[in-house]
Amino acid sequence: MDLILEYKSQLIDGTLMTVQLALTSLLIALIFGLLGAWAKLSSSRFARRLAGLYTTIVRGVPDLVLIMLVFFGGQVTLNNIGSMTGLWGYVEVSQFAAGACTIGVIFGAYFTETFRGAIMAIPRGQIEAGISCGMSKSLIFRHIIWPQMVRYALPGFTNNWLVQLKATALVSIIGLQDLVYNAFTAGRSTGQLFTFMAAAFVIYLMLTAISDLLLRAVDRHYSRGVVRAR
Amino acid sequence: MSDPAALKIENLHKSFGNHEVIKGISLEAQKGEVIAILGASGSGKSTFLRCINLLETPNSGDVWLAGEKMRMKQGRHGETIPEDIRQVERMRARLAMVFQSFNLWSHMTVMENVMEGPLYVQKTPKAEAREKALALLEKVGLSDRADYYPAHLSGGQQQRVAIARALAMDPDVMLFDEPTSALDPELVGEVLGVMRDLADEGRTMLVVTHEMSFARDVSSKTVFLHQGEVCEEGPPAELFANPQTTEFQAFLSRMN
Repeated sequence: MDLILEYKSQLIDGTLMTVQLALTSLLIALIFGLLGAWAKLSSSRFARRLAGLYTTIVRGVPDLVLIMLVFFGGQVTLNNIGSMTGLWGYVEVSQFAAGACTIGVIFGAYFTETFRGAIMAIPRGQIEAGISCGMSKSLIFRHIIWPQMVRYALPGFTNNWLVQLKATALVSIIGLQDLVYNAFTAGRSTGQLFTFMAAAFVIYLMLTAISDLLLRAVDRHYSRGVVRAR
Repeated sequence: MSDPAALKIENLHKSFGNHEVIKGISLEAQKGEVIAILGASGSGKSTFLRCINLLETPNSGDVWLAGEKMRMKQGRHGETIPEDIRQVERMRARLAMVFQSFNLWSHMTVMENVMEGPLYVQKTPKAEAREKALALLEKVGLSDRADYYPAHLSGGQQQRVAIARALAMDPDVMLFDEPTSALDPELVGEVLGVMRDLADEGRTMLVVTHEMSFARDVSSKTVFLHQGEVCEEGPPAELFANPQTTEFQAFLSRMN
């Protein structure tokens, strides 16, 4: 216990980094997920194909491979393009940006399917009722699709988010000082790996418990009008 | 010049793929007229109704609402598309629709369902929209259900809410797409009762229905569609007493 207290600032910093990374990549994933779902349901064949390609590739490759590809390959590629076009000089891809973007894009593919399913679960007739009242597309989306989509998407969203929160641990591979990285470093330098990994274990559980509470509140809010079987 | 018809449809055609379901239907409804549209399933009657407010886009033909034409143009692939979606939205707001499956918004209370259109499409002030919604719920006999969600109502109640929601838009013409077909037999009466009241008030209504008694007793004109065409039309008293075509005779004998 004393050991942990001694290293508590590392653990706290690591936790903050993990939370920051998780939230940033969640935001990116939500944007990609919404765009992906919109594309998959669009009437444009090109948009549907593009979204199909995206989800197929991303879901078919290990997260770790993509993260390393973006972090190591991305930097080289960016600099090659820069020196070829002369538009920019040497750039360094930050570990945070590479990690957040990659995880965001990866989980965006999972959210694409979650959101697509949720939108398709809304009875078509309710959208037609909106159309026939003279509502604009944006009004229909904001007032009819969105509130119901959130409700239908929530179980899948919760799953994705928990996996995503844990997937941030992968960025320790590219040297970002998240919870796992700091706990591992502290454990190795003190020779007490078990103690620090146990601390990480508890902290992750706390994070998931907090998000579970928040998501339950969201679920209550968006379950208006739902008859539940008792 | 006399007033233009409340609703005029001219030579409407609609195909799904190679299958032509509406083969040139024209119809005029004067203000206050109640037109019942009959036909066997597959006769195109629902599709026809859905073409009027562009839930389905007709391949050709014109829709006029109180003398205003819904402007259409050719799209890139030769399909028909609205020239100005805002105009279509404005006209839809004046053409309220009541659906077979009610289609209430399940995440909104009865009150919110009825207030939605006035508040956000017509930008009516909230207090006014609320007052109007209450009055309409009173009219359809559901003022005590204002705070219920649709899932807690019977089919007949849901359909009456849907009628109140349509009325809240102060529509020029009301379109009813088989409004009682999804209801248990004992609930049909309450919905037809409300529709009768609306007819008595002088509302202009187009009603696709299987309720022969409604067509016979309430409509001012009955139209019988067969295979995407108007087969017979006229005052219901004459039409029902004296069907001219074998198709309509066969239809009537099947319904009775």
